[in-house]
Amino acid sequence: MTVNIMKSSSTQLQNEKWMNVKVGDIIKLENNQFVAADLLLLSSSEPHGLCYIETAELDGETNLKVRHALSVTSELGADISRLAKFDGTVVCEAPNNKLDKFMGVLSWKDSKHSLNNEKIILRGCILRNTGWCFGMVIFAGPDTKLMQNSGKTKFKRTSIDRLMNTLVLWIFGFLVCMGIILAIGNSIWENQVGDQFRTFLFLNEGEKNSVFSGFLTFWSYIIILNTVVPISLYVSVEVIRLGHSYFINWDRKMYYSGKATPAEARTTTLNEELGQIEYIFSDKTGTLTENIMTFKKCSINGKIYGEVDDDIGQKTDVTKKNKPVDFSVNPQADRTFQFFDHRLMESIKLGDSKVYEFLRLLALCHTVMSEENNAGKLIYQVQSPDEGALVTAARNFGFIFKSRTSETITIEELGTLVTYQLLAFLDFNNIRKRMSVIVRNPEGQIKLYSKGADTILFEKLHPSNEDLLTLTTDHLNEFAGEGLRTLAIAYRDLDDKYFKEWHKMLEDANALIDERDERIAGLYEEIERDLMLLGATAVEDKLQEGVTETITNLSLANIKIWILTGDKQETAINIGYACNILTDDMNDVFIIAGNTAVEVREELRKAKENLFGQNRSFSNGHVVFEKQQLELDSVVEETVTGDYALIINGHSLAHALESDIKDDLLELACMCKTVVCCRVTPLQKAQVVELVKKYRNAVTLAIGDGANDVSMIKCAHIGVGISGQEGMQAVLASDYSFAQFRYLQRLLLVHGRWSYFRMCKFLCYFFYKNFAFTLVHFWFGFFCGFSAQTVYDQWFIALFNIVYTSLPVLAMGIFDQDVNDQNSMDYPQLYEPGQLNLLFNKRKFFIGMAHGVYTSLALFFIPYGAFYNVAGEDGQHIADYQSFAVTMATSLVIVVSVQIALDTSYWTVINHVFIWGSVATYFSILFTMHSNGIFGIFPNQFPFVGNARHSLTQKCIWLVILLTTVTSVIPVVILRFLKVNLCPTLSDQIRQRQKAQKKARPSRSRRPQTRRSSSRRSGYAFAHQEGYGELITSGKNMRAKNPSPIPGLEKTLHNSTSWIENLCKKTTDTVSSFSLDKTVKL
Amino acid sequence: MKRTSEICPSRLPDNSALKQQQLPACRLQLSAAGVLSGFFATGAFCLGVGIILILSAKSIKEIEIKYTNICGHCAKLREDATNFDKECTCSIPFYLSETMKGNVYLYYKLYGFYQNLYQYILSRSNSQLMGTDLKDVGNCAPFSKSHNGTPIAPCGAIANSIFNDTIILSYNLNSSIHIKVPMLRSGITWWTDKYVKFQNPSTFNLSSAFAGTAKPPYWSKPVYELDLQDPGNNGFLNDDFIVWMRTAAFPTFKKLYRRLNRIQYFVEGLPAGNYSFNISYNFPVTRFKGEKSVVLSTTTWSGGSSLFLGLAYTVTGAVTWLAAFSMTAIHLMLKDRTKLFIEQ
Repeated sequence: MTVNIMKSSSTQLQNEKWMNVKVGDIIKLENNQFVAADLLLLSSSEPHGLCYIETAELDGETNLKVRHALSVTSELGADISRLAKFDGTVVCEAPNNKLDKFMGVLSWKDSKHSLNNEKIILRGCILRNTGWCFGMVIFAGPDTKLMQNSGKTKFKRTSIDRLMNTLVLWIFGFLVCMGIILAIGNSIWENQVGDQFRTFLFLNEGEKNSVFSGFLTFWSYIIILNTVVPISLYVSVEVIRLGHSYFINWDRKMYYSGKATPAEARTTTLNEELGQIEYIFSDKTGTLTENIMTFKKCSINGKIYGEVDDDIGQKTDVTKKNKPVDFSVNPQADRTFQFFDHRLMESIKLGDSKVYEFLRLLALCHTVMSEENNAGKLIYQVQSPDEGALVTAARNFGFIFKSRTSETITIEELGTLVTYQLLAFLDFNNIRKRMSVIVRNPEGQIKLYSKGADTILFEKLHPSNEDLLTLTTDHLNEFAGEGLRTLAIAYRDLDDKYFKEWHKMLEDANALIDERDERIAGLYEEIERDLMLLGATAVEDKLQEGVTETITNLSLANIKIWILTGDKQETAINIGYACNILTDDMNDVFIIAGNTAVEVREELRKAKENLFGQNRSFSNGHVVFEKQQLELDSVVEETVTGDYALIINGHSLAHALESDIKDDLLELACMCKTVVCCRVTPLQKAQVVELVKKYRNAVTLAIGDGANDVSMIKCAHIGVGISGQEGMQAVLASDYSFAQFRYLQRLLLVHGRWSYFRMCKFLCYFFYKNFAFTLVHFWFGFFCGFSAQTVYDQWFIALFNIVYTSLPVLAMGIFDQDVNDQNSMDYPQLYEPGQLNLLFNKRKFFIGMAHGVYTSLALFFIPYGAFYNVAGEDGQHIADYQSFAVTMATSLVIVVSVQIALDTSYWTVINHVFIWGSVATYFSILFTMHSNGIFGIFPNQFPFVGNARHSLTQKCIWLVILLTTVTSVIPVVILRFLKVNLCPTLSDQIRQRQKAQKKARPSRSRRPQTRRSSSRRSGYAFAHQEGYGELITSGKNMRAKNPSPIPGLEKTLHNSTSWIENLCKKTTDTVSSFSLDKTVKL
Repeated sequence: MKRTSEICPSRLPDNSALKQQQLPACRLQLSAAGVLSGFFATGAFCLGVGIILILSAKSIKEIEIKYTNICGHCAKLREDATNFDKECTCSIPFYLSETMKGNVYLYYKLYGFYQNLYQYILSRSNSQLMGTDLKDVGNCAPFSKSHNGTPIAPCGAIANSIFNDTIILSYNLNSSIHIKVPMLRSGITWWTDKYVKFQNPSTFNLSSAFAGTAKPPYWSKPVYELDLQDPGNNGFLNDDFIVWMRTAAFPTFKKLYRRLNRIQYFVEGLPAGNYSFNISYNFPVTRFKGEKSVVLSTTTWSGGSSLFLGLAYTVTGAVTWLAAFSMTAIHLMLKDRTKLFIEQ
């Protein structure tokens, strides 16, 4: 990525890579560019040094934010030479991770200017609606606030990896134990038997003592038995993981054609952990939602629009089959807008005055700015996407917002241009939860148009609205139930005289110094009453495709999903409902929004009491001893029934993450089905993940798309990035990336589950195989005077793990499936064994080990018994060492192959080739190495000449091999059969059903979409920020199309400073109220 | 991002069965019918084989005579290594109550002789025994070279410790007529051993070929004098030598010594009657608390099998059937329940 930069030493702009950006450089940013470093805004293309930024990458908020330069620097404009001479000095705080705070002083031209967050553009933001701006780099690279917020990169390893390491250590201990046993055996043998025997066999009699011999034997056996320590395991595991990663990359069902982005496994070491996820931490903006708002439905005068009646007359959701309304008659219509209910268009044609008023309100009451691009098309610059959706809807229905000045709003009403005089702008804020405009139409009537939260607005209605109110409330509930963002719409006709009085009072209030805000608020209250309800709008914060199904499915898989977002509480809650994380069936939703540690503690305590109170009423009001309480808690933790949700905001979270409340938070959060954290900073996201990771010992997954998710992606066991978007930071930090949230379902339920399943099977088999292979040496030790003689040929030992048995188990580890992918998705419960770590754990390891020991016993003692005192068919003895070795080796290869054949549940061509091929390879190599020719060349290396030919033609030896195989395999089959019959796992059942289905392919029945019942709650959510009203009434964000007369400019300059001051004051107020106690603590 | 999509026009993964994990495959599942019928079949097979093996093992006639104690005087003599040049013979009479029909094999059997010790097994030189390089005594320590430094042929502990008793079986028709039972030395070794693994140096005169080598220290005569009558049995090609060199897997083992030449009286096998073993006792076993015995045995279709394999098969078969019956019972009992379970 490159950026236009003026190095501090030069006087010209040049294109440089981001890496070359240094503190003190001046950067020129253009519209829609990413900000490369933390900048002090110097000047911009907009008047008064304003610029607009989108901070979605930083905090997930989608509305535009205003930054403005100091007036002294904004005068520099785009004058390169003057900018080059800029020699101000900034003294500021040390690099830190607080996104909403900045403190510094600019010293320039002998005067000092204080700097706050409003003058700073942070790295990660995107410049919007601003032609260009210049900024001086304050922090670059790792010092930027964004980077300060991204946690440390840690080396990620899976829990199986850790378990494997432990097991390998145990095996090593086991090896040493065997070595010691055999060494002691050797010492005793040497003492009892060997001494006399040695004198017979060797010349150097009496030189060795038995203890020394035992010592040497110990080391010999460590070397011989080292095959029990699976060294090739690590390589094989990596190969399998690599294979699984490729499968993820190759999966067409995770390919997003919209952006031509396939899924990508960016690490190859974490695959099986995908099958063990217990907690998912998801970002909201860009991950769950598409960051697109669409106007979905509306209720006008008690009539609902946007729902399509199908033939049966039942209400159904808008589906693709229905034809959208044709807006082609309207040349100004936005082509991307789609609406499916033709009745609204018909109502407009019929001239329904309420509908007109409704659409007029949408076209008038907003903070949108319009602009015509080169093609003459109308472009809206919106500061909140919700408003954009509403204004665009009005535009398509023929009420086109054309332009505005600080005193007028021009709209085109069904083809005729109408200019309204903007008399007052009653701005939005978080307490009022509404905004209003007062306009005078060309006929001279004064009207107040208001839109806002239903809960607020309904209190202001005129009593005559009662009937309409109930109807609209029903509609609103319906909208809210569908997770739509709702706004109530109302108007009021104002008396000229009354308005004038009110306006005068407002002007007076504005002139006040003390209690100005309170007075203004009171005045706003006063005029916004006796409203006439028009209806309600419902805007959809468009979820990504399949999000709801994915989340439902993942919850069925017992995965807990937490939403961590930087966005507002209402928005977060709304999305929670929209994507089914929050439902109306929930017993309770706890909202923690305290601003001090004490408040937070109290709220947490209350929530917990509430939660327990519903579950165990018996302990209410009693003082319980601490210890007893603990015991009860642990019991309750298991027995909490019913669904609860916890919603906590960033400021509360900051307190809650402190050590003493942490446990309370965690306990409460883990008992809730859903947790939503809103207004959290990137670092807090990571802290939450860390908390769960550390104290719940659970496997976590974090998914996000923006730079603000990087820290949590890095922190979680598995980080997933949404790719195919503008920013790459999340993807670059992630372990897996794909383009749509819905692919997470396939990644976890199919790929993750398979990976885990395969890896566990692979490990069980691998340990079994090594034990079966190696332990025969141990048994043989008791018959060969503990002399460290191997049972097998050296060549067999060398080739066994690599050539004879590696490929079948690798094929199983890569290709095996118990149930197919469709069933994996259809039965999310199949995921649970992974979470509970059932398929491979220490117990499974010991079972595998016991199995291996049993096999080695069968492998050794059956040939031993059979060979004892036996002659061959031609009377020759067959109990020679070499024949024994060949018999054992052949039995082992066959037993191990039969075992892998039993373990493989999905026999592809590759499995066939590898399993049969391995056995065939064994025999061909055996015969080759025992052939005359190779012995003739290397007589000392291949002493087994003729052995295969001789031994494997004896019936007796084949009977031994057969018996060994049968006795090794039969118990395994019995146990498996009984297990499937007595306590079948879900997987077994589904496999059986799958088999039955194969015969009679029934049509797959989709789970019926449950229609949510309506609820008594407000769906209000609005991504809006205070301050824009003033911006508009001051007219200072409007670009002068013609050079304004000089006096006007002066006036606006004057005005602008005042509103900027106000704006600053307000923002600092809110900021300080949030961070007050935080700073105290700091 | 754009550039990559230009370079590879389609980033859509291939729709191949392998890449989509849709390879046609059969899903192996242990179905009740399959498992149970498999179990019954396996059980029946094992039982059948087991019974046949037991019957055939019963049909084998075998006589084993431990002669360490019988020839106690010789054993005592051999305990002192200085008496190596004194001959000691020992005659062991025995009575064969039944005719041993068919091929009869004569074995010697050693108890407690560890031919499977690591250093022992290694202590040989295959290239020397092939006759290509008599001087190659690389692995033979401590029997690679004699005191004066000449390489030993055949070198190594295995060769040095060769079983050197001579066993002669005589058939006592009556007290005066002792017929030496005709025995064949041929065919007691593997073909590959005799013709590939063991070869004399390719010269006409064996003794000159072995010039410059020493005899193993425990041997009474050099290797080229093992059988002066038959050049095919002399040197490394000596059958007894080859048999000994094929080391046994366990400390108790028997090795084929001779087989009955079925001529004259012995066309049918060994007729019942009085026999005696005439053993020249050379191989000391008492020093390592071992024992030696001489064995006469017949074979069946499966060789000289012992009861073990037959019993093991029978037991396995029985257990398999038992398991099959109980599994059937369990399966039938649970059948209804399982069905319900799946329907849910």
